[in-house]
Amino acid sequence: MSRIATSPGAASAEAIAPETERRGMAPAAQTGNLAPDPEWLTRRRAEAWAIQRATPFPSTRSEEWRYTDLARILPLDDLLPRGSGRPRVDGARGGAVHLPESVRCAIARDDDCAGRVIEMNGAVVSVELDPELASRGVVLDSLRRAAHTDPRVRAHLATEAVPATDGKFPALNAALWTDGVFLRVPRNVDIERPIRLNRWISRSGPATFSRILVLAEEHSRVSLVEEIQSPDLDRATLAHAAVELYARGGARVRYLSLQRLGHGAAWIANQRTLAEADSTLDTLNVALGGSFHRVDLNARLLGAGANSDMLGLYFGDEDQHFDFNTSQDHVAPHARSDLLYKGALDGAARGVFRGIIRVHEGAQRTDAYQTNRNLLLSEGAVATSLPNLEIGADDVRCSHGATVGQLDAEALFYLMSRGMSRERAERLVVTGFLGEVLGRLPFADVTGKVTREIETKLRATRTLRKTG
Amino acid sequence: MGKSPLLSVTGLSARVADEEIDILRGVDLAIRPGETHAIMGPNGSGKSTLAKVVAGHPTYETTGGSVALRGEDLLEMEPDERSQAGVFMAFQYPIAIPGVSIANFLRTALQARLEDGEELDLFDFQELLMERMELLEMDPAFAQRPVNDGFSGGEKKRNEILQMAVLKPALALMDETDSGLDIDALRVVAHGVNRLREENPEMAVLLITHYQRILNHVIPDVVHVMYRGRIVESGGPEVAMELEARGYEEYRKAHVA
Repeated sequence: MSRIATSPGAASAEAIAPETERRGMAPAAQTGNLAPDPEWLTRRRAEAWAIQRATPFPSTRSEEWRYTDLARILPLDDLLPRGSGRPRVDGARGGAVHLPESVRCAIARDDDCAGRVIEMNGAVVSVELDPELASRGVVLDSLRRAAHTDPRVRAHLATEAVPATDGKFPALNAALWTDGVFLRVPRNVDIERPIRLNRWISRSGPATFSRILVLAEEHSRVSLVEEIQSPDLDRATLAHAAVELYARGGARVRYLSLQRLGHGAAWIANQRTLAEADSTLDTLNVALGGSFHRVDLNARLLGAGANSDMLGLYFGDEDQHFDFNTSQDHVAPHARSDLLYKGALDGAARGVFRGIIRVHEGAQRTDAYQTNRNLLLSEGAVATSLPNLEIGADDVRCSHGATVGQLDAEALFYLMSRGMSRERAERLVVTGFLGEVLGRLPFADVTGKVTREIETKLRATRTLRKTG
Repeated sequence: MGKSPLLSVTGLSARVADEEIDILRGVDLAIRPGETHAIMGPNGSGKSTLAKVVAGHPTYETTGGSVALRGEDLLEMEPDERSQAGVFMAFQYPIAIPGVSIANFLRTALQARLEDGEELDLFDFQELLMERMELLEMDPAFAQRPVNDGFSGGEKKRNEILQMAVLKPALALMDETDSGLDIDALRVVAHGVNRLREENPEMAVLLITHYQRILNHVIPDVVHVMYRGRIVESGGPEVAMELEARGYEEYRKAHVA
């Protein structure tokens, strides 16, 4: 991080605490109460609020939520603002900003980065960007602040990518989001090192709504690595994110999301990627923590030559419930998308994957693939996999496949016959199985973090089982 | 031949767990350090079952007799304990472990041999692996491939020999290592086994095979004929030659009689 200077208007995390104390402000004042929302945003929030009021919570009667009974998982009425219907936007309240140990730990394990945003309880508390990149026109900022300063936010926020009309959670988010990240990369700018976003939820209680908006202009390149953490929470708590990713012609965007929340936390994300001609827009969703994890990911291939690799990895134990709802929309011809979601489930964990490839009329020469593989490590774990195809063109290459399997006794014997204990053999098979997903990505620190976490979880459950 | 046996199999009978018929019906076998034994026999005679029971395959349960390595009861041990005691089985059908490189696999196997809290030195390991691959005339890039994933039959068997070279067992059980190999691959594998025998003259080898041809390359000290779960004849390499000429007909007749 030595090469990173603080960008104008933001303070480094270490610097914030003393400064806010001096000014006698809550840290949220850095962004949350910086200025009232611009008028267009206030109006947009009110519209979104009206939409959410008219939209019921998802129920298992709908196809997309059939295997996840949200009402049983989340006491939504307790988590949302009550009353008249006028959205009240709270930033983080009270307490000096100091980074919790687990966030420090996570940051210490990161390789070098080009910029970092730290968000706590839905409020951005720190933005750092390599000044060299800032001088070339790269913008990395609190979304709340950028709503005032950058006209592109108004043009792209909750319009084309994740509008309020998309459903209950997109509407709630559009009405209630407190802050998030705005990242804009100008034409031809290639940011080699990733931009990082660390998010922290410190306490049980109200829902947190946050947004990410990435605009990568023609032939630019950027990677954003998001990591969300929390302590174990004593009651169900929702963190929601709306993620809007734009790759203009020839651009390359990679978005990696690592969910490492504590027990009790529920994570719901609505993500949409818009890939124009000859662009690459890759995503990775990693679900390790939390009690509930739901991602709705829609990849739209809008121009010829566009490519999206869509990767997912989940490891669940105890009563964790993961639900992925993906769609690959091939609007333009000559585009490619390749989805691979792999999960291992232990204890009484539940995994749901539901994916669809939609080849729109006229999208000839589409290459679209969809694979979901599950490994069950216990009798109590359940995986449901529903791959689907909807093809409106005749000259396409599409495939989909799903598997649910158990640890292979022959494989375990093979490893044990080389001297490994059963536990060690299981760990090796599971990390190998999930490693295929990580192997497709060039971020060694992410791979390391995820692998370590999986091994730790496996050790914990195996030890429990032995002593239990 | 004054040495005490490394492996002693006495009156061993075994079956597939939950089934009613024994596949092994009283096997007696003693292998001393440095000896190479071959077991030949028709399909279904129990020769592969013998190797798997010695290695601890969970499919089988023993119904009588004993198996000891240096006097220690192997049947009481888990497969990993048997491996650490010095038993190695080269599989007839090696298993693919997707996403796990051969190097990672072997590193984990060696790490498992250390005490808790003791860490394998990665530099030493790398050196050992390279040296072992050189001994077997293998391309170092091979170690980076995922274990048996998409391997040809020959590559799988070479991988077994590499594992054996790294783990340096006292007793190598080779379960039809020659089956499905063309003559070139067979030579490579046999060459590997011979190099390891030269390197460690104390290593004992039990070759399970259908055919005499591997025995032209790996010369056994003793050849056993197994038929219907028992060893029915033992002798020198000439037994294999005779079998090749006569087949198993006389054993069948003897059995019927």
